[in-house]
Amino acid sequence: MKKYLSVFKISFAQEFAYRLSFVMWRVRNVMQIVLVFFLWDSVFSGTQKIIFGYDKAKIITYVFGLIIVRAFVLSARAQDVAGEIQRGEIVNLLLKPVSYFKYWITRDISSKALNLLFATCEWVILYLILKPEFFFQKDPVSLGGFFLLVALAMFIFFVLIFIVSAITFWMPEAGWGMQFLIIVVAVEFLSGGLFPLDILPSAIQKILYLTPFPYLIFFPLQAYLGKISGLLLIKGIIVSAFWALTLWLLMKTIWYRGLKVYNSPGK
Amino acid sequence: MKRLFYYLKIWWLMSKNSFMTWLAQKMLLLIFLTGKLMRFAFFAGFLYFIIKGAKSLAGYNAPQVIFFFLTFNLIDIITQFLFREVYRFRPLIVSGDFDLVLTKPYSSLFRSLMGGADLIDLITIPPLVFAVIYIGALLNPSWLQTILYLLLLVNGFLIATAFHIAVLSLAIITLEIDHLVMIYRDLTNLGRFPIDIYKEPLKGILTYLIPVGVMISVPAKALMGLISIQGIVVSFAIGILLILLSFKLWHFALTKYSSASS
Amino acid sequence: MFVVYLAKVEKAIIVDHLVKNFEVTERKPGLIGAFENIVSPKKKIARALKDVSFTVAKGELVGFIGPNGAGKTTTLKILAGLLFPTAGVTQVLGFDPWERKTEFLKRISLVMGQKNQLWWDLPAIETFELNRAIYEIPKKAYKESLEELVTLLEVEKLLNIQVRRLSLGQRMRLELIAALLHTPEILFFDEPTLGLDLVAQEKIRNFIYDYNRKHEATILLTSHNMNDLINLARRVIVIDEGKIIFDGILDELIARFAKEKIIKLTLSKEMDLKELEKIGKVKKIQFPEVVINVPRSTAAVAAAELLQSFPIADLTIEEENIEDIIRKVFRGETRKAFRK
Repeated sequence: MKKYLSVFKISFAQEFAYRLSFVMWRVRNVMQIVLVFFLWDSVFSGTQKIIFGYDKAKIITYVFGLIIVRAFVLSARAQDVAGEIQRGEIVNLLLKPVSYFKYWITRDISSKALNLLFATCEWVILYLILKPEFFFQKDPVSLGGFFLLVALAMFIFFVLIFIVSAITFWMPEAGWGMQFLIIVVAVEFLSGGLFPLDILPSAIQKILYLTPFPYLIFFPLQAYLGKISGLLLIKGIIVSAFWALTLWLLMKTIWYRGLKVYNSPGK
Repeated sequence: MKRLFYYLKIWWLMSKNSFMTWLAQKMLLLIFLTGKLMRFAFFAGFLYFIIKGAKSLAGYNAPQVIFFFLTFNLIDIITQFLFREVYRFRPLIVSGDFDLVLTKPYSSLFRSLMGGADLIDLITIPPLVFAVIYIGALLNPSWLQTILYLLLLVNGFLIATAFHIAVLSLAIITLEIDHLVMIYRDLTNLGRFPIDIYKEPLKGILTYLIPVGVMISVPAKALMGLISIQGIVVSFAIGILLILLSFKLWHFALTKYSSASS
Repeated sequence: MFVVYLAKVEKAIIVDHLVKNFEVTERKPGLIGAFENIVSPKKKIARALKDVSFTVAKGELVGFIGPNGAGKTTTLKILAGLLFPTAGVTQVLGFDPWERKTEFLKRISLVMGQKNQLWWDLPAIETFELNRAIYEIPKKAYKESLEELVTLLEVEKLLNIQVRRLSLGQRMRLELIAALLHTPEILFFDEPTLGLDLVAQEKIRNFIYDYNRKHEATILLTSHNMNDLINLARRVIVIDEGKIIFDGILDELIARFAKEKIIKLTLSKEMDLKELEKIGKVKKIQFPEVVINVPRSTAAVAAAELLQSFPIADLTIEEENIEDIIRKVFRGETRKAFRK
């Protein structure tokens, strides 16, 4: 356990080592939120007051909620894994008495901790500047469901990255490509990270719910907003847990095979 | 003049090499192409649903909003096509291979900016141009407006070029920032929508200081006849000013170059 | 300045009172240090070159040696136009390297141990064609140059294979060709044999030697490799801590620095070896062989003494091992010796 603590510390410090880089990363995150905020603000400035079942308060809450949830779920150091496999650096860690998986979870947590710290500050600053009509959830059940779903979402995203990175075992050059496809493009749109998924027609929504993506961001935020409760909430948590488990098992299988096939490159 | 032909030839050869590199990795090419198409389709779909629900955005109707989006894509993708090499610049500096660029008898800026034209983006340009023409035609612009659109588009490219040169320069001056070019992308992404959706002072900043507005919204507005003579003149002025400043920045950056140690 | 003007006519390279400083950010360790680095970063000036002056004539082959961080590579990079000199005059072929004029760049070349310019996923020949266009090499000259280089470096079969599939040694030979297609008059080599096996090293060395002979190219090379220096460079410049501490013929360096001679004895019968300590430093004992180091000036006397007083079957006097001498230079142990 102690060794993971030192991993945490070093990882935390490394984020700071490239201070400008980190600040820039936060700036980027803020800009993305700003874009989404103003977009919806503008959409709701017209004559329509309720669109797709949302009023201005709820949508703005959604957007502000994104700041925190994205910092929780989508900031992941584990995106470096593909590169490590490609360059053969993974061998260094596989030789050490640490679980590669646990190592990266620790690094992820440290990265998320730092990101969360900054995201909270940004949240406060943006709140003061933009003065949105933010809906503060008070119902403990909703809040509890929210946090549980977020925790599951973090795990799902993490495992997803590991699965996608594993393609590097078979095709070293494809690592970044698959990351781009799945993590950058697919997740961005299909998880609810840009817009609430229920503005889409129900036929499309049904298809999306067959994938794990909505459970990363959209579903947790729906729980927070109180839009799903009671049985639906429980059902959602179960499905989310199911995804977490399934993907985890899938990852283990793929990695087992991948490591066997792997002939680590060296220069 | 002779020098122009020289650089055209070099660009052609480098682009040819770049394309051959892509073709040597067909799987990767397919993956990225799919990803880009997906991204475009998703965002277009998103836009479609927003307009369907909201009926208008910042006072613009559906074809207009789509045209803004398409203009954004046009500038964005042509820029990525030409300047893909900028994304590979930091590794070039870190590894020290940039030294070998500096010792060649051609402009190191040219090589760092345009040395790796992107085949994938090239593939997506023709359909995009077609879409721009199609939607643009729907807006019924006059000849003057169309010409202004094209000229301001070129101005937009100038600004984009200035940004990329600035990114390169900063990458030399401080090794601290990686993925600096992504910040540029995030900034320009704000231009996917007409910048009128942003409130002041952000709108002002985006228009004059970090002129995403001038780059993207202004050309589209010109086509729709929504821009004044003043606005046009100011836009060109900003474009020229920025490109000149960026060249100065580059030369300054080279004096600060410290080269990776052996 | 007047001297510089006169010298310009014959000298290919002129360096006069060159100074180069770098700005370095000091990083504090640990978690708290990491916070401090953001809030108040500490900057320091590193003086890479303090006052360097030398000239090189056309066709000379000069070796730069010195400890790590001494300033060898920095000097080379300034001469190639990569770094901006803080102060002083540099002139190569009559040009100011920093201006990086096209004419200048077409006549020089920089080769650095493990830096790459070959396109990774393509056969080397594609990069060569690109370079031909970049350097505007006429077709005939290109063909001749390519043929000569390919034959000398024995890479005929490798030209059309993807660079990523080749071994380090093969890649380096091709990198060398890419760097020399335009038959430059001035070559800067930075650690040319770094990372290569012995056979490959010798190939590169022979190549450099032949190139120097054939094209009368002026060559400056930096190296850590003893064999590079012994076999290639007649003239050496020793740099340490940003200053030149020796500039002359390699043999002179050895003579000036080799303070000791080595006496090798073969004893004819057993004896009290402690007695030998009176004559000199006993370095090695493997009966009946003994190795003693004695000061250079008294070597003859010591030998006579030994022959007289001890049961010796055979005795030879040798110079100190060149490798050891140069190794001492690298480790900076010569600083005291060169204080004038």
